[in-house]
Amino acid sequence: MKKVLALILSLALLIAVAACGGGKETSSPAPSAGTSSPSEPSKGIAKEDLKIGFIHISDPSDKGYTFNHDLGTWKMVEALGLSEDQIINKYNVGEDEGCAAAIDELIEAGCQIIFATSFGHGSYMQEAAAAHPEIEFCHATGSGAASSGLPNFHNYFTAIYEARFLGGIAAGLKLKELGETKLGYVAAYPYAEVISGYTAFYLGAKSVLPEVTMDVIYTNSWHDPVLEAQAAQTLIDGGCKVISQHSDSTAPATTAQSNGVFQVGYNADMIDAAPNASIISARSDWSVYLIYAVTQLMNGEPIATDWCAGLSEGAVYMSPLNEAIAAPGTKEAIEKAKQDIIDGKLHVFAGPLTGSGVNFSGETETITIPEGEWFEESKKQSAPYWFYIIDGINVLG
Amino acid sequence: MNILNFFIASVLSACPLLFGTLGETLTERSGNLNLGVEGMMFMGGIAGLAGSYYYETLSENPVVWVSVVIAIVCSFLCAAFGALIYSVLTITFRANQNVTGLALTIFGTGFGNFFGELLSNSAGGYAAVGNATKVAFNAPISATLASSSVVGKLLFSYNFLVYIALALALFLTYFINHTRTGLNLWAVGERHAAADAAGINVTRYKYLATCIGGGITGLGGMYIVMNSASGVGGVWVHNCISGYGWLSVALVIFAMWHPSRAIFASFVFGALSVARFYFPVSFLPDAIYEVVPYIATIVVLISVSMRSRRRLQPPASLGLAYFREER
Repeated sequence: MKKVLALILSLALLIAVAACGGGKETSSPAPSAGTSSPSEPSKGIAKEDLKIGFIHISDPSDKGYTFNHDLGTWKMVEALGLSEDQIINKYNVGEDEGCAAAIDELIEAGCQIIFATSFGHGSYMQEAAAAHPEIEFCHATGSGAASSGLPNFHNYFTAIYEARFLGGIAAGLKLKELGETKLGYVAAYPYAEVISGYTAFYLGAKSVLPEVTMDVIYTNSWHDPVLEAQAAQTLIDGGCKVISQHSDSTAPATTAQSNGVFQVGYNADMIDAAPNASIISARSDWSVYLIYAVTQLMNGEPIATDWCAGLSEGAVYMSPLNEAIAAPGTKEAIEKAKQDIIDGKLHVFAGPLTGSGVNFSGETETITIPEGEWFEESKKQSAPYWFYIIDGINVLG
Repeated sequence: MNILNFFIASVLSACPLLFGTLGETLTERSGNLNLGVEGMMFMGGIAGLAGSYYYETLSENPVVWVSVVIAIVCSFLCAAFGALIYSVLTITFRANQNVTGLALTIFGTGFGNFFGELLSNSAGGYAAVGNATKVAFNAPISATLASSSVVGKLLFSYNFLVYIALALALFLTYFINHTRTGLNLWAVGERHAAADAAGINVTRYKYLATCIGGGITGLGGMYIVMNSASGVGGVWVHNCISGYGWLSVALVIFAMWHPSRAIFASFVFGALSVARFYFPVSFLPDAIYEVVPYIATIVVLISVSMRSRRRLQPPASLGLAYFREER
């Protein structure tokens, strides 16, 4: 009898877990065998027939990348006048076979367009795109669309490096005010996306403080708050007075605050979490792309194979400046640089620059950009391909 | 200077592990193998943050020390509640300890993230405690002594929780080895039936050791939520405990079920977790640093079982349910 009771209690515990943890399926019930005839993309799709699927690596509770992308989704829904049940989100989909299963479920639910947000989802998206030519597949941060030659497989990314450059200006001005020269950067992985981001941040600081240097530490994780804090603490111990990050959590911001140094954030406005440290954050507005891609689909127009937009299209922007702690003149300097980038007068990766890095085939490559020339980031493909570590940046580990 | 910073960072990283290890050691001394440490850390973490956060939002003039005490009490009670669920299932209903512990981990993780998200959403962004509370959880216990000399810095530049953890480790060492109650607890973990025959209330000992032990592990979770050098600094961050509970379970073995050894063991693990930042070796992959603690645990297990010293063995009844009727 007691055993039975124990069994029932354990079951109750498990059910409670299932209820608390929150499953993968969310928000909108997927109609089984709903939209019967997948309409030809070339002829366009009526607004009310649209079904849009999303594959997310985590869920919006990360308050970081997925949270930010999800904001874009709901902004798109509002802008296009869709209803919520036309969106099917798959959260916490890993970069493994689970991704293929999630794509299949979205296809079965009748989605005409599917977005995947993480780099490792790419191969599954490509496979599905080859098998389902009638459905559009859009993959963020990836680089396989052009080489795959599939007309229904697309890559997209924002020119976040432009916003990072502006964040760098805020950091550089703060250093200048403090009379210091050392920046720190908590980076996720030694990938081009991350390197491009921190190089842009560094160059932004350098544009206002030529003698600046920067230490970089990789956590080898997109989201490991404790590790991010430990890395930030190490940078601060090493003398960095302003830090920034390519990682999800607010941990570097709070670590900066408790050490009395400053921080420039990413993906989210972090001022609430660390009011005395967080100066400003670089953010992406994914709705710009989502609105574009879905509108093209509705009109029966082709979607670009590689899409990248930045400050001028509003796809990247800066969160509100924390004026209480920012150096005087920061707002004006950012405003001016922003206008110059939009007008094409200012280029982020502008010479003179020298650096070297490991390219996509694993070989070491060097680059020298002379004065007056610049490197075109995100033009050949949407995903960043600046992988050079330039002079002044010191990778600690 | 680098070595000094490394030492301090190691101690700060070791502290949540020490809480987890001490709590789990106390639990396992009663013969209960509670694998729900990770879950209880999540429960302790969110309860501590929520307690502080609500006190500060609801009270007109929040007092820092009250906020700190509320965080400690809430996290202890909430994690102890998690351990109580485990106790009822395994002690009273004699469910399988491994399965129950794993279920508690899953439950606690969901509990923490669910209420954490609820709290964040109700705060409209990030649920963060006030700056004064953040300082209280991070400030050196004596800033003047810490900045006076190298020795002062080595001894006094930690937050108060580090000293509490150390005191707790010393107290538990004394408790288990030198008090009647502690020796009784030891006996319960070794052989339930013999302890029962000697007139020790086995059920009561098991319940108390497991619940108090669970509460102590919860303080480790609160440390991760509140500390900023080796934690997320007083803000709820999704999945912030990220494996520290499991490390604690391994550490109990590494420390051979002795609270005093837990100090050293958790320091080693803490040091290894930050070593690659302070002493990067370019040709060593980062993964090496991450597996070293586990390899060390395996080596300790093997060497101890080969030497078979009786004081350095797991409690003999670890993982077994006690049926009085089956004596």
